[in-house]
Amino acid sequence: MYLVGEIFLSEVIGKKIYDREGESIGKLTDLVIRLGDVFPRVVALAAETAKNETTVIPFENLELFNRSTITTVILKGEVNGRQILENEMLICRDLLDKQIVDITGAKVVRVNDVKLGDVKGNLCLIAADVSFSGIMRRLGMENVSQDIMKLFGYKKAPDLIGWNYLQPLQTTESSLTLNVQRSKLSELHPSDIASIMSQIPHRERAALFDTLDLETAAEALHELEPDAQVSIIHNMDKEQASELLELMPPDEAADLLGDLPEDKAQELLNLMEADEAEDVQELLEHEDDTAGGLMTTDFLSFPPNVTVAETFKNLRLVAPDVEMIYYVYVVDDNDKLLGVLSIKDLLVSHDNSMLSEIMQDQVKSVSPDADPEDVADMISKYNFYAIPVVNDDGIIMGIITVDDIVDLLIPPASRRKTQRI
Amino acid sequence: MIFRKNEKKPSNRLWIFLAMIGPGIITANADNDAGGIATYTIAGAREGYSMLWALFLITIALIVIQEMAGRMGVYTGKGLADLVRENFSIKTTFITMILLIIGNLTVTIAEFAGIAAGFELFGVSKYVSVPIAAFLIWIIVIKGSYRAVERVMLFFCVIYFTYVISGFMAGPKWDHVLKGFMVPTFKFETDYINIFIALVGTTITPWMQFYLQASVVDKGVKREKYNYLKWDIYLGTFVTDFVAMFIIIAAAATLYVNGINVDSAEEAAIALKPLAGNYAFILFAIGLLNASVLGAIILPLSTAYAVSEAFGWESGLGKKFGDAPRFFWFYTIVLLAGAAFVLIPGIHLIFVMIFSQTINGILLPIILILMLKLINNKRIMGDKVNTLYQNVLAWGTSVMLIILTALLLAGMIYPRSLDYITEMVKRI
Repeated sequence: MYLVGEIFLSEVIGKKIYDREGESIGKLTDLVIRLGDVFPRVVALAAETAKNETTVIPFENLELFNRSTITTVILKGEVNGRQILENEMLICRDLLDKQIVDITGAKVVRVNDVKLGDVKGNLCLIAADVSFSGIMRRLGMENVSQDIMKLFGYKKAPDLIGWNYLQPLQTTESSLTLNVQRSKLSELHPSDIASIMSQIPHRERAALFDTLDLETAAEALHELEPDAQVSIIHNMDKEQASELLELMPPDEAADLLGDLPEDKAQELLNLMEADEAEDVQELLEHEDDTAGGLMTTDFLSFPPNVTVAETFKNLRLVAPDVEMIYYVYVVDDNDKLLGVLSIKDLLVSHDNSMLSEIMQDQVKSVSPDADPEDVADMISKYNFYAIPVVNDDGIIMGIITVDDIVDLLIPPASRRKTQRI
Repeated sequence: MIFRKNEKKPSNRLWIFLAMIGPGIITANADNDAGGIATYTIAGAREGYSMLWALFLITIALIVIQEMAGRMGVYTGKGLADLVRENFSIKTTFITMILLIIGNLTVTIAEFAGIAAGFELFGVSKYVSVPIAAFLIWIIVIKGSYRAVERVMLFFCVIYFTYVISGFMAGPKWDHVLKGFMVPTFKFETDYINIFIALVGTTITPWMQFYLQASVVDKGVKREKYNYLKWDIYLGTFVTDFVAMFIIIAAAATLYVNGINVDSAEEAAIALKPLAGNYAFILFAIGLLNASVLGAIILPLSTAYAVSEAFGWESGLGKKFGDAPRFFWFYTIVLLAGAAFVLIPGIHLIFVMIFSQTINGILLPIILILMLKLINNKRIMGDKVNTLYQNVLAWGTSVMLIILTALLLAGMIYPRSLDYITEMVKRI
């Protein structure tokens, strides 16, 4: 079948479909697309017959499909209503006028019109029009609006976003298939995902979240407001939730568990790997509004009697699992804090020097029950990226990183909705 | 194991309720805007206490309609315009939005007219008061978070109590008040019916449905907290109509008793001076100013919310201007247009008022029917659709409102039409 270059959905909806002999089959009401490829292929047409019944015509039965004419190669009587399959969507029903996520702008937009085009000989959904001119086109007033635009010296092309940068929000019957597709949302920065999450209704949050890969999900989860975190964790299956918690830095996992009902939290802790769970457990015992409640137990520690070269060798092994690698803390066998080194110190030192020779042994630290405000003051005064938390016996318990402090002082936008009284 | 205590979350129900207070109370109070106060004043001045019983009807109507908007906001997480766009044709959405923009613009003009009149009572020229008020309102909304704007508006809601005090100062005869409240009276006379229609009509407006639902969404009210929101709505409605009652009482105890006829709230304030003293006048004038300012904040905001939802623009008070430019631009344009219109020298606002009532009168039935269709749609509301009882109440209220609105429109287009209707009723 010969395809036209590009059509807007609004240009063909409502058009009459004729059979081989010129008999009218009905009016085009919707297009059925199959998900899976980058650009979903149009596989069938939904039409409303004269008797107000809906019939579905497979795309391969079409002879012509363009702005002015839609004809089939079969006869009216041969059209037998095909079913809509599991991995198929209806454009008008499921996409048009709905909100979708625009990955390029990291925001939620509304689909005003849909552009169809030729991809390798198939008619595919290639882009969504999210501009106001899309609305005007649907209302049949495109020319009017363009004339008005011209008055003001605007020459506006439709605001098209390629389908490869879009992800539907709506949890339709075919939401299962969305999970099969590689989630486009995962390409975004976790903070952007969180801000999108905060813009959409709760009901759609969990569904969208399910499309993320675990790694991204763990990072995004932390950025969300506590209420949203709790509802998402609640709606996940336990195995998955515990895996998610393992992937999160222990301090964030502890924050989250602290917001859950105690029995649920305990259950998830038991499902987690022993040493991860232990870290989180320790952190849970601190009051929220103290240094102990802010710290993470993930930090790099080395004994004093190793060389710089050995340190680097080990660093490569452990660094992937550690959030803050700028500082190396030097501790004795009992975890007593002896000194600190920055990565820069290590880089500029000789390979054979011992850590004890080059370390800074006057370490600034805070106690576990210090006030977060004071911690912030320290971090800001000394320009640290992190500060160790040390108990009365000089044992290092954890570190507080600068981003946790910044979040405390300036909550991320996605969390600002929640009010603390 | 030891669990860390949750962040200082007050487990106390009262605290949660206090945090939830906002959308319901603000929307209900904003219904007592410049136009509303004028209507209540005129009702009290012309008919005395005899219309107080109508406040029952108004309270029920307001609760029924507001609860639906609140419920839709909480359970869908979407504003009314969002839902209209997603569930009805684009033509319906577009026409609704055009009507809403025009309607809201005219009401915004009325609010600024109220600000101008209120300040003129204190001898401040409108060329000074209106620009300053417009600028302050603009800054609050542009710079403030949802919470900050909500707090400012809640503060305005408190000031409404000046009317309660001025009602007491007017020295009403409480036995008459009680009688007017308890005994429904109705006169089949054109003037009476006109006031009655205006009284009920001023309470339920198209913009408030959009505002309430959008603010519930912007505030991010969770489903579990829906019951608190419901009480926020009940309390708001009660407080609003309590204030309305005292406006009627203040006017009835002074103007009606002395046979003084007024056509506006500012005339009433001036007439109060010799009758109830200077303080009553000041309180009444402050009340008018306060109501107008609250209206002038909320109307452009309601417009910006609705249009942004319908056309898919970023919106929300918590955002920066640059993150939601169209939302804030729309808000700015409606606000400025409303303020600028009042400042046109020699402008007659009576035409604007009639035009405003007409547009809103056409829009209200559309909105009510759309709302009822949405709230009864299982696909949207799940098991939170209207129960049979709620539907009887909601449809009953809507039909009553639509009939009253139709009468109001008929009376405006063809002033004699009400006379015919009353004649017919009398013959029956």
